[in-house]
Amino acid sequence: MHLLSQKKWPILIGLAPAIIVYFLFAIIPIVISFYYSLMDWDGFTKMTFVGLANFKEVFNDPIFWQSLKNNLYVLAASVFGQVPIALFFALLLNRKLKGGKFFRTVGFMPVVISTVVISLVWGMMYNARIGLFNQFLKIIGLEQWAQNWLGDPKWAMVSVSITIIWQFVGLYLIIFLAALQNIPQEIYDASEIDGASGLKQTIYIVLPMIWDTIIVAVILCISGSLRTFDLIYVMTSGGPGHATEVMAMYMFDKTFSSTRYGYGSAISLCIFFFSLALIYISNLILRRKTV
Amino acid sequence: MAQPAYQRNTNVSVQEGIEKKQKNVKKTFIYFILMIYALVNTYPIIWMVINSFKNNIEFSKKPFSLPEVWQFENYKTAWKTAHLDTYLLNSIIVSVSAVILTVFLGALASYFLARFSFKWGKYIYTFFTFGMLIPVHATLVPLFLLMKNLGLLNTHVGLILPYIAFNLPITIFILVSFMKSFPLDIEESAIMDGCGVFRIFWHIILPMTRPALATVVILNFINNWNEFSFALVLVNDESLKTLPLGLANFAGQFTTNYGAQMAGLTLAIIPTIIIYVLLEEHLVKGMTAGAVKG
Repeated sequence: MHLLSQKKWPILIGLAPAIIVYFLFAIIPIVISFYYSLMDWDGFTKMTFVGLANFKEVFNDPIFWQSLKNNLYVLAASVFGQVPIALFFALLLNRKLKGGKFFRTVGFMPVVISTVVISLVWGMMYNARIGLFNQFLKIIGLEQWAQNWLGDPKWAMVSVSITIIWQFVGLYLIIFLAALQNIPQEIYDASEIDGASGLKQTIYIVLPMIWDTIIVAVILCISGSLRTFDLIYVMTSGGPGHATEVMAMYMFDKTFSSTRYGYGSAISLCIFFFSLALIYISNLILRRKTV
Repeated sequence: MAQPAYQRNTNVSVQEGIEKKQKNVKKTFIYFILMIYALVNTYPIIWMVINSFKNNIEFSKKPFSLPEVWQFENYKTAWKTAHLDTYLLNSIIVSVSAVILTVFLGALASYFLARFSFKWGKYIYTFFTFGMLIPVHATLVPLFLLMKNLGLLNTHVGLILPYIAFNLPITIFILVSFMKSFPLDIEESAIMDGCGVFRIFWHIILPMTRPALATVVILNFINNWNEFSFALVLVNDESLKTLPLGLANFAGQFTTNYGAQMAGLTLAIIPTIIIYVLLEEHLVKGMTAGAVKG
């Protein structure tokens, strides 16, 4: 760039610590999981090489496919729940409203609270006996609608997904608001002169202008929903049965409850490649639409 | 058809009145919807705080009212029997050390990546930002094995290191884009004065980066404070558990004392809420940095 680039050694000294820590604890784990995924190992006895047997077992295990299905369920709930709700409230808040900042602050709040706390509180809200939802239904006289929200396989995934949507709507709300506020006022004025206002203006002028941001939000939703773990671990541990099993939960169970490190590494790699592939594909599909 | 002038005037003003009324109705409606949104967003937290002051009987009988007798006892129970003090201390040690190290190493690396041009700079930057795509859970098992081999399982260091590694990408991403915006001649005059590369970093670049540093510090702190998966896998020892891990544990043990459980959860989010309310702008900026440009 300029004068400073004459000497090389300070660059090396400056970058080395960050690179070493990042490489050792973020990159190397992925690399060594390739090695472990080919082994059968319980952590104590001798490791034995088993080739691709672990992967074969993963793909033949119906519980793995169930967990993948649930990940996709969370993904769909995030993309079709969080994004539209966030967009709706962002559009509402984008006008000059008194107290707009208050709603923004409140809207973003769940995003900063620890997932463990959220899971425990929502877990109690869903509690069949003393939970908020069933108590509320009782008070308004709809007791027959009460459910064992987390204990019933029919309802468990729905309940978990609602909590996930609640937790992250605020993130997308803020992202959309930032994008909306980047649209210059002249564009609104010009479109109004051309007769586009209200809903028409939103659909034909505003949405196309923030389309790129919507894509980013969808991709964040996808990668976020593949990371679902803490919430499931605390709320249901994957149960009842395997009704709310997700890939990370399945991996955790297989590795640490059954101490099968080789098998766990194989699942880790599947999660890794599956995430990258999904992000890549969604990027491809959504980008094409804009052209 | 020509209307008398006075009649036309009243027509206009009536119309204006109707429009104004419609606008008011619309505005009220918007506020109504927003209020519902705000209520849905905050009610779980409010519910938790209110019920943290109730005993079990009142909790199950009157879940929606304020407590009749405020049970401050619950907080004592949560604090003492649940080892919240230990968990809190561990969370502070781990989060603060990880934040300091991440931001220092990240800032130093960002300085060289943003202010110098060298052959590998671009690749190293891409290499770091790739980290934002790595699904954390894919690294849990190998990281556990790595820490086991290094003898770092059940230590603070064993938790701090992955926290640094996984927060470096976003830290560097934010800091590089900020540092790139400084004009070039800043360092040039300093060099004329005979300043070394690292002195320029410490005395000129770092102070200029202060706003972005604040964002990064807060973002890192909240990330580490709330982190659960690594702690779950890498720490087993009761005396080393961080707050989220301890809370998950504590809820399992005290399933019968709802009030104390809620009290524990309330205590745990107080620091987060304080930081959020005081430093909202920075925190929001940090958490949306990957998605929002400018």
